[in-house]
Amino acid sequence: MKKNLLLISATVCIALVTSGCQPVQAWERGTLAKPEMAIDADPMETTLNNHIFFSKEASNGGHSAAGGGCGCN
Amino acid sequence: MPARADTPPTETSLGYRISTYEEDKLPEEFLFSGSPERYDITIHQFQLVTPVGENYGLTLSSSYESMSGASPWYALEAFDGEKSIVMSGATIHEQRRDYNLTMRRYQDNGNYAFSLGTSKENDYDSWSGGFDMARNFNNDLTTLSGGISFSNDDINPTDAALFNRVTDESKRTASGFFSLSQIIDQNSLFQSSLNITRHNGFLTDPYKLGDLRPESRTQVAWSNAYRRFFTSLDAAIHLDLRLYDDDFGINSVTLDASWYQNIGDSWQVTPSIRYYSQSAADFFTPVNDFTSPGIPNSSDYRLAAYGAVSGGLQVQTRLDDLTLTFVLERYVTDDGYSLYGGDSSPALVNFTRMSLGVSYTF
Repeated sequence: MKKNLLLISATVCIALVTSGCQPVQAWERGTLAKPEMAIDADPMETTLNNHIFFSKEASNGGHSAAGGGCGCN
Repeated sequence: MPARADTPPTETSLGYRISTYEEDKLPEEFLFSGSPERYDITIHQFQLVTPVGENYGLTLSSSYESMSGASPWYALEAFDGEKSIVMSGATIHEQRRDYNLTMRRYQDNGNYAFSLGTSKENDYDSWSGGFDMARNFNNDLTTLSGGISFSNDDINPTDAALFNRVTDESKRTASGFFSLSQIIDQNSLFQSSLNITRHNGFLTDPYKLGDLRPESRTQVAWSNAYRRFFTSLDAAIHLDLRLYDDDFGINSVTLDASWYQNIGDSWQVTPSIRYYSQSAADFFTPVNDFTSPGIPNSSDYRLAAYGAVSGGLQVQTRLDDLTLTFVLERYVTDDGYSLYGGDSSPALVNFTRMSLGVSYTF
């Protein structure tokens, strides 16, 4: 029940967020190119966090395929 | 993958970061025997990102960890009927090294990359390889990307004969992802990704007495990221949501929020908060069952039902071609934080992490 509720809530939120898409010309994308607007703004921090949470939590997976394993999990 | 025309790096960037990770002691009321001192780890990270020719970008990354401390060995019911943990008696001292290489080819309408990686410890070797690609559509407002990776891990536990542990086991992993990125307007974008990972082979923890897990595991994660810039505040917000499910019976939800506040031209302060909640694995037992050999069961706290809240602060400053980064994070677990019911464990871990880094661009 909780799983279905979470899935429905996430789908509704995503639909609301993307419903307002506007055409953006190439010369209007300066803000989107800022480092703080990247999906991964700090790759070294993301790598470390992914490793820590892979070691300490049961879940993993994100915006890329899984890499190699380690004895930490 | 960003939803905009892709270009290779134009400069070389060399980065180094040192981090300390310290787990809180196991509370005395949950300790049956052994050392309450849990893991202390120091991590050194290195990264090189550089253009190769006009159309390629190379990323080399490496890390070295040294760790010491004790870990939960098994769980039992103490004389007062409470769950209690037997910790490993001796403090372990171990090191791990990993190396990863990615070569990315940039094209007018997207990019693709090949990756290789390896991780080495005295009892665990892993080799991995992968491929990913991205294509832009809709005037580069939309990006579809996907990729696959494979890894092979060899496991040779230390002191195998002394503690009747397995020897020469292996695990194979195949993983794939599909992702959609969309520019929403001049100041915001969104990415949604589906990741499926399949493990086959030896998945049991050889250092936990009585631990036995299935020989396969399928994991599915649906991750969503939203980025928005507020021009009047010179700040950006990151919101991330991940839903996870696997055939161990574990579901989880992860919520991340970060606020990137620019201060002047050279400072950035980023507070962040994360909430994580997972259910227990079907075969998780808060107290080890040694009476049913051959039946999957584990008292590993990482398979228990629990929730975790963490808060962090990153401070970054740019001095010409140098960028200095400081990060402080505190992670706290509690079975009361969980959205799910199910058995929990007295061995849940809290930790504090600090990182200091420098990168040079030339």
